[in-house]
Amino acid sequence: MQLVGFPVIAGIVLLAFVANTNKTAHEKLNNPIRMASFAFSLGLFTYTTMMFFEVFSDISSAGLSFNTYQFHDSYEWFPALGIHWTVGLDALSFPMVWLTTFLLPVTIIATWHEKNGATYFPTILLMGGALIGVFVSLDLFMFYVFWELTLIPMFFLILNWGGKDRKYASQKFFIYTFTASVVMLLGLVTLYLMQPDQIGSGGKYGTITGRTFDIPTLVDHATAANQNGWFLGESMQKVLFVMLMLGFLVKLPAVPFHTWLPDAHVQAPTGGSMLLAGVMLKMGAYGMFRLPLSMFPHALQHFQLALMIFGMVSLVWGAIVCLGQTNLKKMVAYSSVSHMGVILIGIATMQPMGWAAALFMMFAHGIISPMLFAVCGAFKHHYHSMEIGSMRGMAKHSPWLATSMMFAWMASLGLPLLAGFVAELMMLIALWYFIALEGWSVLWMVGPALVLALTAAYYLWSMQRTIFEGGDETQPPASLHGGPIPDLSREEKIAMLILAAFTILFGVMPWIGLDMMDDYCRTFFEHMISNGIFKGGA
Amino acid sequence: METTQAFTPEFYTAVMPEMLLFFGLLALMIIPNLGKGTFRIRGTQIRLPWFLGGQRYAWSSNPHLPAWIATLTLTGAFVAVADSLRGGVDAVHIVSSDAESAKELLMINGFSRVFELIFFGALALASFSSMNRLRVEGVGGKLKVDQLYNNRRQADFYILMLTCGLGMSVVALAQDLFVLFIGLELASFSTYVLVAFLKETKAGSEAGMKYFIVGSVASGVGLYGLSMLYLWAGSLQFDVLAATFAVSGTEPLPLIGIGFVLVGFGFKVSAAPFHFAAPDAYAGASSPVAGVLATASKAMGMVGLIRMLLIVAAPDASDGSAVWLVCLGALAALTMTWGNIAALGSTNPKRMLAYSSVAHAGYMLAGLTAVGAWTWDPTFAGNESDAALMVLTAVLFHLLVLVAFKLGAFLVLSILESDGDASRLSSLGGLAKREPLLAFAMFIFMISLAGVPPMAGFLSKLMVIMGIVNVGVGTGAGGLGDFHWVWWLALLMVLNSAVSVFYYLRVAVVMFFDEPEEGREGPLPKGWQVRTSILVCVLATVLIGVFGNSLLEMCRTAAESLTTKW
Repeated sequence: MQLVGFPVIAGIVLLAFVANTNKTAHEKLNNPIRMASFAFSLGLFTYTTMMFFEVFSDISSAGLSFNTYQFHDSYEWFPALGIHWTVGLDALSFPMVWLTTFLLPVTIIATWHEKNGATYFPTILLMGGALIGVFVSLDLFMFYVFWELTLIPMFFLILNWGGKDRKYASQKFFIYTFTASVVMLLGLVTLYLMQPDQIGSGGKYGTITGRTFDIPTLVDHATAANQNGWFLGESMQKVLFVMLMLGFLVKLPAVPFHTWLPDAHVQAPTGGSMLLAGVMLKMGAYGMFRLPLSMFPHALQHFQLALMIFGMVSLVWGAIVCLGQTNLKKMVAYSSVSHMGVILIGIATMQPMGWAAALFMMFAHGIISPMLFAVCGAFKHHYHSMEIGSMRGMAKHSPWLATSMMFAWMASLGLPLLAGFVAELMMLIALWYFIALEGWSVLWMVGPALVLALTAAYYLWSMQRTIFEGGDETQPPASLHGGPIPDLSREEKIAMLILAAFTILFGVMPWIGLDMMDDYCRTFFEHMISNGIFKGGA
Repeated sequence: METTQAFTPEFYTAVMPEMLLFFGLLALMIIPNLGKGTFRIRGTQIRLPWFLGGQRYAWSSNPHLPAWIATLTLTGAFVAVADSLRGGVDAVHIVSSDAESAKELLMINGFSRVFELIFFGALALASFSSMNRLRVEGVGGKLKVDQLYNNRRQADFYILMLTCGLGMSVVALAQDLFVLFIGLELASFSTYVLVAFLKETKAGSEAGMKYFIVGSVASGVGLYGLSMLYLWAGSLQFDVLAATFAVSGTEPLPLIGIGFVLVGFGFKVSAAPFHFAAPDAYAGASSPVAGVLATASKAMGMVGLIRMLLIVAAPDASDGSAVWLVCLGALAALTMTWGNIAALGSTNPKRMLAYSSVAHAGYMLAGLTAVGAWTWDPTFAGNESDAALMVLTAVLFHLLVLVAFKLGAFLVLSILESDGDASRLSSLGGLAKREPLLAFAMFIFMISLAGVPPMAGFLSKLMVIMGIVNVGVGTGAGGLGDFHWVWWLALLMVLNSAVSVFYYLRVAVVMFFDEPEEGREGPLPKGWQVRTSILVCVLATVLIGVFGNSLLEMCRTAAESLTTKW
């Protein structure tokens, strides 16, 4: 399991190697460094895939229960404060780790010819390492360290390889998410210090503070305390829930905390966008499941309505804003906001199925949205423009790009047999079920119904204006200055094919990933119900 | 624990680092003056060589010599302190030789040792890197008068560095108001001259003048406060003062006295509103000196504050909290907010760092406020000594690691100063293209100052927040309403950290994004000394952030030895 630290080390080593050379040598180093990074990420992918087949493919029969972890490892880090280097995987984090390792090589392929490759590819590796670190951490301190660490490579990806306004976008991205994170940090610290002082009891407890940052221990404490009343007291639990959720909602992002996202996405390079949309947004949802939902179920019930409203607003608002976009990448960015709303709604239903839908949405969107951004990147790369109207009749002269675009757009709007459909369908069923069960107004269905139409509208409309319109008199964009109209490069084709293949795979056989997620949610709810925290049912 | 009089063998062992500095000072005065000077016996032609003055030897006239002597002395003192800290320090009390009522003058224990570590570490790094900052002209051959003059000034500079270190460590050791004041003034006067050392430049002399005037007013006010305390208690001893304060601390006289002392030390830690001279001083001084002001001098102010507030005016067991609690809390809130907002608007990197150091002072003052929130007398019910101890550990740790990244940032600016100018943000422009490693180092320092993991600055800020929250949460399990109000200082601190990211990140953006200034495209001047110092700072910043456990525990032990009450 220590393998997850390796991308960070590999990235640093490669960067240090590059930093010691002068500029002309950089050019020569591009290829070897790219190959090394690619080989490394491929190795990582193989490793996690093997983990899947060995352990997680039949995780339920391996005896899955709440708050137990596979590959659990723990080393002392700051014993004075009860901080440990604790890693472990469960059905919640494993899909995210696998997704990250899957996206790393794909990102490298899709952006094979990125400029300054000698520093770009190691940065991608660093980014991947930090992301994996977030998902495998089972220690609050370690979790927060990696959580913030992801900002640094992404900041440089945007600043060094981004678009015209990259200076503004990179700073906004960093400051916005950092601000939310420090509020979350204060929440984490308060949570840490609210636990009873166990000084001198050794083990996972700090020698100075007598408290621990260990997540499994904290969750155990919380479950035990939640059985009779509220863990940490009612008002405290609510306050901490809000503080932690603030950090996660900004990262997710949910409307109205989403304004950093379009800027960051539009200015980020293709590789940065792919990782940002594919994995980094999921950190927010993952964090919710890992911390507040596991520890503060009472507060979750209390804030259920608020979460539902956040989800609905994100869903609808994101879709409406998409309709008005003329910039292809901005439209895709807002569609991410809309899809993240699906996750929030899934959580707010408080049904195992809704949660499984949210988890699967995280996963499916993690495969589809990189493809969306890869298409946008190719568009920008070849046509030097992101305006939706700038390229017309693409189907005639750039069939590969047109096909990829159509496929990605269809996958994102939830075409059956593709991965996104499964998650959306599950969410709708869970929401219906929830409305019927709890006696909420049927009007709650208006939002999702509306968005189904809106999503189809903005995707189809943009396709029509880009791929099909223009007919016979093909109008190449003015930015090409009459030059030949290019299509996807070989590497881009490969990346698109891989992404499409996995989108189909998880659309046709969703149970590969869904089984473990479903089991996770069911064990979670069974655990909560058997401890008398949630009411029975479901 | 042992008690000894001054000038006994035990005394010399205990104050070994200070003795090293003392001999270093002697060496600095004598060695550069060694030459072929002779002494003629009157009425004869016999000339006896006596080695002082005359034509100097090649090695003794080497302009780098004073720098090396000072650096080696300070490093030696640093190593001596670190070595004595390793096995845990036995407290040594130095008392006056007055037989009937021996008065305690100095106390050497873990707490003061940590401060010596900070002072000597910062000064050693600063004097080592000043070798590249204070221009020396070539040796041998014909030198113009001003060049020669410049070479001769080297000794002055490093003598001041050493006296500065000596004064600071006396402040850390002092157990008596008089000794405290002597140390304070010795260090202050050295820094006034050091700040004004670039007297040829307008900024340098202006900075020195401002710093001197404001500083001496602050010292005067502080001295007035000290004299009021003496008038009231009839003693200069900290322990006597503390005992008297516990009985009659709420009388007006000691309160006004403590208030005045707060002003005096508030200037040293550059707490708002006593910080106005700091940005000018930092901007006018040479960068390594500014780095010393921001780290060692600030630590000296903090140790003074800790002694005066936590030992003399200790939180009272009768109602639980210290008399200065609200006052210091307001000061902390004002300082961190003012510092950060002022830093947002400054375009001179050195002024920006000065304001950021004001903000950091605010964080530490918030920590001290938290210590004063509850009594830590173990006999008192609801014992909160653990929480207070944690905050103090955090403040010590913060001061210690601040040396690494604050001084480091100033050293990077120092290289830019040698290149011409570092007084505009655009001077940093394109640093990533000119010197990628230097830009990377500066980036590390900036994010460490901002408190981004996994740098040392994150750990120390986390510790301070954790300590404040720990005190704030207290015994109140009833939610936010039951928290002590110091908890809100933690929230303010967190929000301030978020604000501070704006200007730290701006430096990174300028370095990695903007083009270099006109005519400044090439690589920066060489200078292995300052680059080595920067490397040391980077390594310390990263390694302490990742493997700082033993340092944390050291600070904990040091904090425990501050008072016998915990």
